[in-house]
Amino acid sequence: MNSPLPLPRALSAAVAAGVLLALSGCQTPRDAKYIESGGASTVVTLDQINIQDWNRAADAMVASMLASGVLERVPEQPAVLAISRIVNNTQQQVDTDSLTKKIRVALNQSGKVITTTTLGLGGKAEDPLAKESAEMAAMLAGQKQVTRLPYYTLSGKLLEDRAQAGKVKQVTYTFQLSLTTVKDGLAVWEEEKQITKQGTRSSVGW
Amino acid sequence: MKSLAPLAALAALLLPLTGCQTNVNTVSRAEPLARPTPVSDKRIVTDRTLGELIGVVSVNETLVSGNLRKVQVTLENLRDNNREIRYRFEWVDRDGMAVGGVSELWLPLVLAGRETRSVSTVATTPRAVDFTLKIVEGK
Repeated sequence: MNSPLPLPRALSAAVAAGVLLALSGCQTPRDAKYIESGGASTVVTLDQINIQDWNRAADAMVASMLASGVLERVPEQPAVLAISRIVNNTQQQVDTDSLTKKIRVALNQSGKVITTTTLGLGGKAEDPLAKESAEMAAMLAGQKQVTRLPYYTLSGKLLEDRAQAGKVKQVTYTFQLSLTTVKDGLAVWEEEKQITKQGTRSSVGW
Repeated sequence: MKSLAPLAALAALLLPLTGCQTNVNTVSRAEPLARPTPVSDKRIVTDRTLGELIGVVSVNETLVSGNLRKVQVTLENLRDNNREIRYRFEWVDRDGMAVGGVSELWLPLVLAGRETRSVSTVATTPRAVDFTLKIVEGK
């Protein structure tokens, strides 16, 4: 039978336990676990475009495009959009679909835009089977294939700017997009979103 | 003890220069031309500390692209120190079902001392009718 702790010791132990309990939620997990994609727990690094950067850029672009009212000026709704070239001028190899797909999904949900998957840059279809099937169906029906041409094209550029002062490293990723009307080649909407990250190490937290 | 006094004075002088205590002065039109559409809001505070640090000045709403809702919430840092928060908008449809979408993500925001800043979002579907803004303290 253990004798009960003296009151001051018991109090100290309780306080220590409370402090440890409070700190436990902030500790870095050792075991793998699921976290919210792009949420507060996601890792932030200086040497690459992180998932939350893509999300933020896409969100800003979508909000800007929808708020601009440009999609309301299309004669036949929803507007047909084709994805043009997104130039990657950053030091890293990225898949620009990380940006454009999120934008396409959001615009599709809005009901204002549908994206063609059978018409792509350099004649490459995103969905070659759909393109071939349409050609086959048109041939079997003895008709000329009718492809709905895009009203808009989406093009853009990714830029990267690095700076360092002492131990502090800084990187700015710039996302630029333009929406061009095919019939006259004029950019009717343009937007730029910059995301800057700073830290003394490559990996920093939010 | 006496020798600590100059150090304390120096620390007090340097404190405003550290960047942690930068208040924002503003100037704007005395009679604003803007006529925003205010939204009456309901606030649920589970973090009293944060509730005393960040205030909600106004909630406005408008329609964009014909039938998409855009909301703007103006936040105010109620203290003199810089304050880092994260916020997230969530939308629900007429049946109260969560809509989801690309715009529902946690975004960081740094407010300087006493600064007022607006955050906004555009619903990506016409089905979205109501919204919730969640705010948490940044790390």
